[in-house]
Amino acid sequence: MPPTVDYHCPCLSRTTVPPPPHLPSSSHSFHALHTLFFCEECDAVRCNRCVSVEVSGYYCPNCLFEVPSASVRAEKNRCARNCFMCPNCRNTLSVVPSDPPDPGDGRLTIPISTIGEPPFFLYCNHCRWDSAEVGITFEKPTGLAAQLQKFEDSAPDSLEFERLKEHFEPVIRASSLSSSTSTAPAAHPSSAAHSHRRTNSITAAASAALARDIPGVSKYNPLARSGRGGSSKDKTANRDEMPEYRSRLDISSASSLGTGGGDADVDSMRHLENVSEVANLEQRWVNSWATSLQTADLKPLRIPLHSKRSKRCPACAHILIKPEQKAQSVRYKIKLVAANYLPAITAALPHQQEAANPDAVKRTLGKSTTVAADDDRATAGMHAGKTYPFHLALTNPLYDPIQVRLTVQRVHAPAPASGRASPEKARRPPFAVSLPSASFPIAAFAEAWEYEDDEDDDMFGLDDDDEFGIAGRVAGREKDTRGKIKTVGVLEKKANVTVVGGEVVIGKEARGNVKFNMLVSYTYRSDDPTPSESNDAEGTVSKAAASKPPETKTFAFYTVVDLGPIIPREEPRVESDF
Amino acid sequence: MAPIRDKYTIHSKAVVCQDVELKGDITIGSGTIVHPKATIFAIAGPIVIGSGCIIEEGAIIVNRRKEVMRIGDDNLFEIGCRVESPTVGDFNTISTRARVHHTVRIASYCVVGAGCLVVPTDDEYLDDYTVIYGPAAERRTWSGRGKVQEADLRRKHAEYLREMLPKFNRLRRGEGS
Repeated sequence: MPPTVDYHCPCLSRTTVPPPPHLPSSSHSFHALHTLFFCEECDAVRCNRCVSVEVSGYYCPNCLFEVPSASVRAEKNRCARNCFMCPNCRNTLSVVPSDPPDPGDGRLTIPISTIGEPPFFLYCNHCRWDSAEVGITFEKPTGLAAQLQKFEDSAPDSLEFERLKEHFEPVIRASSLSSSTSTAPAAHPSSAAHSHRRTNSITAAASAALARDIPGVSKYNPLARSGRGGSSKDKTANRDEMPEYRSRLDISSASSLGTGGGDADVDSMRHLENVSEVANLEQRWVNSWATSLQTADLKPLRIPLHSKRSKRCPACAHILIKPEQKAQSVRYKIKLVAANYLPAITAALPHQQEAANPDAVKRTLGKSTTVAADDDRATAGMHAGKTYPFHLALTNPLYDPIQVRLTVQRVHAPAPASGRASPEKARRPPFAVSLPSASFPIAAFAEAWEYEDDEDDDMFGLDDDDEFGIAGRVAGREKDTRGKIKTVGVLEKKANVTVVGGEVVIGKEARGNVKFNMLVSYTYRSDDPTPSESNDAEGTVSKAAASKPPETKTFAFYTVVDLGPIIPREEPRVESDF
Repeated sequence: MAPIRDKYTIHSKAVVCQDVELKGDITIGSGTIVHPKATIFAIAGPIVIGSGCIIEEGAIIVNRRKEVMRIGDDNLFEIGCRVESPTVGDFNTISTRARVHHTVRIASYCVVGAGCLVVPTDDEYLDDYTVIYGPAAERRTWSGRGKVQEADLRRKHAEYLREMLPKFNRLRRGEGS
């Protein structure tokens, strides 16, 4: 497994400080960068766990028809056109005409052009199941769902469900009416209550519509209701009381009608000769209703609809991501993903790359990590009691250059501090991490760089890395055992990527993973200047080199860096079978 | 083991591309199409392929037995499949990257699904209309409905290839022609 860097979303805790990396809860607070969103309003990272999700449209994954949300419920969440799923293998079924009648001479006659002959049936190209096996054929190849509708509607489960709906409808209507009248006045004055109701905007809209003043009908309000007393009071007071429900069929006799369960199944099981006569769980699982156990009773299934969802920030309710309405489109109308705001960090262990591919070291880190990914075996592992350098490649997605400062959060220490711990303090954690303590720049992102592979750095005025290199070197000077080779500090700058070297000293008794929390804070030129200096915000850019720096903002976020497992001292030749 | 003696008998109406690896005693029937990069190895016994078969790129057909390996008519061997069955009937489809061991004999109208492994240790005979599908190589029996249309499609497929392949590939001719 290559080293990973995950990003912290503080939604699970009250503080912004993440849990220590060795706790199991750590993995719940950290996410891969590509799964995160960024709310511009709140200036905060949002993860899939904290965003509020809403459906922005339904579509059939097979025919890509956008189903209006009004008909989704009526069609029972499945495609009502010509899309069916094989009940045997869940592949898509296609409608095919029947073969021409057999001439009966035994020899297969193959007409060179087939004319579609009724009856038509549904046919699975994968497992060769066809609907004629279960006695379903069609006179014409269009509007199959409508032709099948009568089978579906006449199923005992479906009829029972309709009856139940009918039975409960007056009760539901009564309760929604009374709830709308009781909550509607409360919702108006306080905006807090209003924002809370946004979560179920559909029910709110429905109840508002029901509570609307209709001419000729006396308006429902608590006062009027209490004045009327009598019947309406009964309705709310005895909300739990409802007429007794009588089912269509007696359940004990229903199994003989093919609903499944009961004596009929026991009987069929007794006469079972072949396992394949019984539909397996997977085949019955996708059904809406309990179906019979027999494979012979499996019916083609309408394909379940999929939905496109948009996500909102939980704090300010701004949309973070919103897909385009069209089912064919894979683009987004709004897309505020964290990858466009936070620098992307990839970690790499140079000694692993050398072991995997000696040539790869010369190349950029982002590429060589993928090369090293598959074959870091025991040679590339990290042994206890040794010191290893590691690289962090930071990629700036912003159109402005940024200044980044990395800080390692020390394990067991309450306050985040530099990883360059004094030796007696470093006793407790199994390893110590050193990173350049000074901030370093990353150049702005430009599309043109994506096309230029090897460009000399000083073309972009980035030849001032010496001071940062030295500053970083001071941090790791005690561990710089290799002498000439610089391991801690800024190693490489290319386009909008800066590679920073760090070093990890692993204790003699260390076990587990080299995994540490790292605070990344970066400073960038703010787009929206403060009101006091709004006039000369543009002007300061030109004299940025002068004493007055441009308007800047700092954003900080936590990451967890997992460099991989430590190979314990005791058995140095252990085979790493992770 | 004695060196394999190459002897190719290719029907004049068959389309066998130049870039095909053939070894041993191989007979290819009329109208059969062998795509480039296909491999046919008659290691032990000869291989006889009937008419109208389609053998796609990367397909491997091997005869490990002394007896003649007979492949019937109108079979389709899709890309990257590997077949070692001693007999194959007519109108079978061996899908992409499927693998059929030498212990399996195939009747007619069988389908081995994509990526399916049919590798029993004991000898086995796939009856007519056997369908093997899915990651677990499940089996069922096809009703046979639609086989005429499928056969028709197979014929058209072969016909199209007979027309198009020679335009873009050099063809191999049998020793007789």
